[in-house]
Amino acid sequence: MSVIEISGLVKRFGKLTALDGVDLCVEQGEVHAFLGPNGAGKTTTIRCLLGILRCTEGSVRMFGQDAWKNAVELHRRLAFVPGDVNLWSNFTGGEVIDLLLSLNGGKHNSAKREKYLGLFELDPSKKCRTYSKGNRQKVALVAALASDAELFVLDEPTSGLDPLMEKAFQDSITEIMQEGRTVFLSSHIMSEVEKLADSVSIIREGRIVENGSMADIAVKAKGRTLEEFFIAEYEGR
Amino acid sequence: MSTSFARMGTYLGFLIRRERIVSVIWIVSVVGLVMLFTSLYPSLTPDEATRLQLATTMSSPAMVAMMGNVYGMEQLSQASIMAQECLIWYLVAVVIMNIFLINRHTRVDEELGRLELFRALPVGRLTGSLAIIVLAFLVNLIIALLSAAGLILLDIGGVTTSGALAFGLAIGAGGFVFAGLTMLCAQVFSTSRSVSGAGFVLLGLFYIMRALGDVSDNALSLISPLGLALKVEAFYSDAVLPLVILLIEGLVLAAAALAICAVRDHGAGVVPARRGRAHATRFLRSPLGLAWRLSRGTSLAWGIGLFVLGASYGSVCADVDSFIEGNELMQQVVGAAGTGLILDNYVALIFAIMSMVTSVPVVLSVLRIHNEEKRGRLEQIFAKSVPRLSLYRGFLLVALIESLAFQVLLALGLSAASGGELAMGAVIGAALCYLPAIWAIAGLAILLVGYLPKLTALVWAVFAYTFVAMYFGRIMDVPEWVQRITPFGNIPQLPIQDFTLLPLVLLTLIAIVLAVPGAWRFTQRDIG
Repeated sequence: MSVIEISGLVKRFGKLTALDGVDLCVEQGEVHAFLGPNGAGKTTTIRCLLGILRCTEGSVRMFGQDAWKNAVELHRRLAFVPGDVNLWSNFTGGEVIDLLLSLNGGKHNSAKREKYLGLFELDPSKKCRTYSKGNRQKVALVAALASDAELFVLDEPTSGLDPLMEKAFQDSITEIMQEGRTVFLSSHIMSEVEKLADSVSIIREGRIVENGSMADIAVKAKGRTLEEFFIAEYEGR
Repeated sequence: MSTSFARMGTYLGFLIRRERIVSVIWIVSVVGLVMLFTSLYPSLTPDEATRLQLATTMSSPAMVAMMGNVYGMEQLSQASIMAQECLIWYLVAVVIMNIFLINRHTRVDEELGRLELFRALPVGRLTGSLAIIVLAFLVNLIIALLSAAGLILLDIGGVTTSGALAFGLAIGAGGFVFAGLTMLCAQVFSTSRSVSGAGFVLLGLFYIMRALGDVSDNALSLISPLGLALKVEAFYSDAVLPLVILLIEGLVLAAAALAICAVRDHGAGVVPARRGRAHATRFLRSPLGLAWRLSRGTSLAWGIGLFVLGASYGSVCADVDSFIEGNELMQQVVGAAGTGLILDNYVALIFAIMSMVTSVPVVLSVLRIHNEEKRGRLEQIFAKSVPRLSLYRGFLLVALIESLAFQVLLALGLSAASGGELAMGAVIGAALCYLPAIWAIAGLAILLVGYLPKLTALVWAVFAYTFVAMYFGRIMDVPEWVQRITPFGNIPQLPIQDFTLLPLVLLTLIAIVLAVPGAWRFTQRDIG
């Protein structure tokens, strides 16, 4: 079953066309990497997926339901890490994590919260304004990973993390994968993609220019490294 | 030492470029208002008799508390009446401009990390701080000189060059003191919100000090920069000394700010950030809890401020009797109705003005959802299983409760401090009559957040028009429609007018008609 099904997605902001017919499919239980140069439309696609932006044309479906109309219900099954983590400067990290976990309703698992706080070495009693970029990222990551979501939508989740934390993140994703949960991962870090992804979509100028399983990509790369292949795709060669 | 200020000129040029719209709008608005209202005075105060009557009314304690002491009764001119009625309000406007101006280029920039980018360049440690002080000085000076030039140009009765300069410079120098004060706050507090908050608390405090000092004629009004600026007595004594003292105060405050800035860490304040809870309280774990948590600091500050302001106006009531006994002309005006009429007028005046002030925090609460949106914090909330209205509803509920609570607090303060002159029930009734008008303004804000989120500032333009129309409508003759098109112009002014239900019902309906589609649209539009 497809967890995410996007077809013919067009998003215009006034005269500007940000997305120009995006088609994308993410299957249950896979880690799907979503790549593309800056400004290609990754974050806009994710926002349409979250029902924060309304698509101009096309359809965006999650778990078989319309992402805009059924946003509130669908979000119970989803966890999100934004690319730019903006927190309330006078809240502590712990307060933000509890708030975000609670907003999905029901009780949340405090053992998991403590586990990920420990894994990412985050002090939850500090005010958000005193956190560095990496620590703000960790707040969003802990809030997402500690949830019982079936689908994780992660927008460049490791930007600002040190290599140790990067590894902690990769271990967490591997664990999630083993539990059969689905991950939609936008990233610029090739080693991360290579290690984690089952399949890949590449977006350029608002269109999907490449997609397939990692095995397909390896064939298409024709002996080049993944990085060389992606750069060629980014440049449109 | 000279390296502390390296490349000051270049940075100042950059600041001026950044200010080419906002500050220019402020300058044009303030000078424009000065000229607009000044041009009305010849027809309002044509002869000696009208001027004397106006000045007598203005010397009642209530009016003194609001606008300052009357001076030069023996040689009243159109210009001196104008200065006595208007100067304090231009000054308050310019003070607000200075608070925003300084905060914008100090803590806001520091918080957003822009200042860091700049500090990494070969510039001095104090370059940015000095440049913003110089900029503030220039903006205040331009306002002062253009206002003076405007008055000279209009040349209404009693305008002299020295008077016009005294008038303009009183506004500019008073404003510059607050530039220095805000600069100091920006060193002490480590968030931009607490800096502007502290600036407004100081403005309120100094306004109250001036009111109390002017009414009981003591030094409190000299300590307050607002009171000191009025001591210039434009178009009468044109005193230079208060201007010099204000300038020195501004410079000393700015120098103190620079001294702190030179030794503190970038990003830190004098008041250090404390550790907080590792867990959210049960209450915070809901959209409503989040809305309250984001509003409570501002809410509590406004609540306390309005209560204190109400109480300081109330404390004046006890003086009204003694004032009328000592004033023959006033006794004639009041006639048989006695002090009761004066007090009724006073209460009506206070609520007409203060209810508009109450609408400021209420509108701010409505706009808070858009503020969260602009700062990119809504997407992580709406990525949760949170219907858009559930968070918005929280902010709107806060706004509704604020409107009610603030009007009651204002009335309680007024009545409690009046020494039994004002009955609590009647005062609260007069205050609550204004709720529909406050809701109508809030309704407009809701409509804008839904349909024109980029133009939410329009609500402040409407608010400014309302304030000007209502305030000046009281002290001068304007066509009735000027006030009638504002929500506040349709409220029965208890206790001097009879209570009528119809306008209140209509205004409430207008508020609903504006709010419902606005809130609905918010659930349908793109976020961010």
